[in-house]
Amino acid sequence: MLLETRNLTKRFPGVVALRDVSFGLAAGEIHALCGENGAGKSTLIKLLSGIHPHGSYEGELRVDGKVAEFKSIRDSEAEGIAVITQEFALVDELTVAENIFLGREPRRGLRIDWHTMHRRATELLADFGLPISPDTAVGELGVGHKQLVEIVRAMDKKSRVLVLDEPTAALTEQEVAVLLDHLRRLRAQGTACIYISHKLDEVFAVCDRITVLRDGASIATLAARETAIPQVIKLMVGREITELFPRKATEIAPTAAPVLSVRGLNVAPARGQPAFLRDISFDLRPGEVLGFGGLMGAGRTELLMHLFGAWGTRLAGDVTLRGEAYAKPQPRESIQRGLVLVSEDRRRYGLVLGQDIGFNFSLSSLKCFRRFGGRIDAPAEQVRNQHFFDSLRVKAPGQHARVGGLSGGNQQKVVIGKALMTEPTIVMLDEPTRGIDVGAKLEVYELINRLTAEGKAVILVSSELPELMGMSDRILMLHEGRVGGVFTRAEFTQERLLAAAMGKTEAAA
Amino acid sequence: MNARVLLKSLSMPLALALIVAFFALREPAFLGARNLTQLLIEFAIVGTLALGMFMILLTGQIDLSVGSGVGLIGGISAVLIFHHGWSAPAAMGAGLAAAIVLWALMGTLIVRERIPSFIITLGGLLIFKGLFWKVIESSTVPVARGDEDNLLSVLTTYYLPDNGGLGLAAAIALVLGWLAWRARSARMAHNLPVRSAGVEVGVWLAKAAAIVGLVLVCNDFRGVPLSLLILAATAAVVFYLTKHTPFGRYLYAIGGNEEAAVLSGIAVNRVMIGAYVLMGVTVAITGFMMTAYSGASTTTVGELMELDAIAACVIGGTALKGGRGTVWGVLFGALIMTALLNGMTLMAVEPELKMVARGAVLVLAVWLDVRLSRR
Repeated sequence: MLLETRNLTKRFPGVVALRDVSFGLAAGEIHALCGENGAGKSTLIKLLSGIHPHGSYEGELRVDGKVAEFKSIRDSEAEGIAVITQEFALVDELTVAENIFLGREPRRGLRIDWHTMHRRATELLADFGLPISPDTAVGELGVGHKQLVEIVRAMDKKSRVLVLDEPTAALTEQEVAVLLDHLRRLRAQGTACIYISHKLDEVFAVCDRITVLRDGASIATLAARETAIPQVIKLMVGREITELFPRKATEIAPTAAPVLSVRGLNVAPARGQPAFLRDISFDLRPGEVLGFGGLMGAGRTELLMHLFGAWGTRLAGDVTLRGEAYAKPQPRESIQRGLVLVSEDRRRYGLVLGQDIGFNFSLSSLKCFRRFGGRIDAPAEQVRNQHFFDSLRVKAPGQHARVGGLSGGNQQKVVIGKALMTEPTIVMLDEPTRGIDVGAKLEVYELINRLTAEGKAVILVSSELPELMGMSDRILMLHEGRVGGVFTRAEFTQERLLAAAMGKTEAAA
Repeated sequence: MNARVLLKSLSMPLALALIVAFFALREPAFLGARNLTQLLIEFAIVGTLALGMFMILLTGQIDLSVGSGVGLIGGISAVLIFHHGWSAPAAMGAGLAAAIVLWALMGTLIVRERIPSFIITLGGLLIFKGLFWKVIESSTVPVARGDEDNLLSVLTTYYLPDNGGLGLAAAIALVLGWLAWRARSARMAHNLPVRSAGVEVGVWLAKAAAIVGLVLVCNDFRGVPLSLLILAATAAVVFYLTKHTPFGRYLYAIGGNEEAAVLSGIAVNRVMIGAYVLMGVTVAITGFMMTAYSGASTTTVGELMELDAIAACVIGGTALKGGRGTVWGVLFGALIMTALLNGMTLMAVEPELKMVARGAVLVLAVWLDVRLSRR
């Protein structure tokens, strides 16, 4: 085995990210890693590449049969392991040649030997059959070519193992075909490749073997020739839904007018770019939990952020919020009109970490406490903060504790409290249980029940299918910026939802 | 952690005590009533500007143009009075209006066009300096015609009569007491815990004693300087804004996490422009005082004051990356800065070395800020 892991276990505070994972990569094979979001794929890669250094995990990592103890990415690169992620490690302002040799520039004395660099870059690109000049600035290249430049760079480093994390997420079909061809060529030359993708048809098109990860454990390793897509999906999903999700559906009068109604929404990341969210339509009724599912990059967060007014340019479509058209969303106006968002990235978008709990709780609601002369009625504010502090059961010495020092679950409660203090009608929760412990999760679920019982409507985004199925009244699956399918509670099955997320609605139904 | 907090809270009083002790030993006149009054006037000038800078730094921005602005606004008023015969209030009103327009413009460019404040205000530094020299034609423009005093010229030369100062001290003490009593009864109305009445009265007495003590020291020479009252009024307004209004909360929130502030529904652009307009107002007030203190508008008025203001804020614990700081800290920082400058002047330190010392203090303060805010 070129690369091998034996009984790898990686723990994070409160979570076991990998348990007992054994995995082998033979020379000259393309080996797929499949699993749901959070199954442990990224953690495994970070172990293989030395980002999680030796000593931070249990078990063994072997290269060429010898135990390897990577302390950093440098060590893994020295062994010929190259990781290519979705975020390119390329400098847009430099040329292709400069990027390929970044940090390893051929030299003559103290100077960079431009001639040698140019010549070798030209050779490498020709080798790959890439029709680009080594003098092109990388910023001018498309995503597909950038991906290939990264691979060229990895190959020049004499990499023996290429790890590709979702390499085709942003590629067109044609670019995907080119990339897969190159991978086959590299395989023929003896390079091994770990291929991570949600797109199972690609996996089956190029891979020799498939290892399925689920909940941090390696479930099975199959030869691609002897299996099929449905079987892999079944293995990825695997688990039973327990009664961990205490959803109490509220009675919704069938005649109740929707509080939010979206029709034919098309949104681009910025002016002048093509639409990323396309033809999205749905209704949200009071007292309802509408789940948004989909794979990473399907556009769930972007949709929420756009409705709230913090992302994208609307190209077409109508949004009606509580009976009134809402054409130009802005966070401030959304909050005033009763639409709030609890962001998935609470540290970045939700909290002022250097301030205390009370400061964060009331930040969106200070207008309610404004008295004569623009003064904040501090006692009234403190009483209100204390009410949320108690009812959300925040575990901290008091509302004067700094938010930055709280655990993930308590930070999440503060962000939720801030949103609820504005007395919203619609609450959008983006991954509200990510990175928080089981007890806090349960409290979030109970809170969702309480909100809908009060007649508020909830949009719940979650990458965990069991959670989504457990807590939603209806689920809308997104697939590459489009609606992949809408399901009512009776229609929920993991296979069906996952198929919709992968854009295979017809096949599964 | 606790040792660090203690070190942090004690470092300022300790530094001030060391500076005062050093100068007092080397030059006994330093603690004389005459010099202390002088020091208080200089403190009022630097402190007022630092209070404006404080609100800018809270949002995580910076303003390098204020030194030139101080010269320019003072220059405009002086020229209007001396060359054009305007009345002092009208001339100062015109200066204030100019400051508000200029700073509103800079604020708008920073938030709407997303040009870094460092660059905009660095441009402002040069542009205002050029305009300033143009306005006064690089000459010396007295703040008053002949020997008549006017509103501008008395800013740093008027002292409250002894009894007036004491009366004012009593009035302020009474207002403080009334405010404390009102805050206390509001908390009790909401069933919130309050300090015991004894502690409350004790704290009030301490504050009152400090105010009266300050007035007595001033009365020892010529009375409470008018400029100190201007600083006190500015500090009261800034304290109220930052501590008791949504605007102030938003300043802290923007500096702490701008993205979260936007998503919390804060009109970030409006708040930041507001902060720059308030900066403009304090620049105008400082410009009047500084020019009056120099007796005339000359090309060097306000030079390098932006650095004194920034240093005062940072010495006082205001974080350069925003979101942290207090009015009390800024006043303390300004006092330390002024004591240093005043003491060196008194000891007749050559200007070259004064410059070096000023720079060293700024670097030291920022270094401490970086060290202490690293967690």
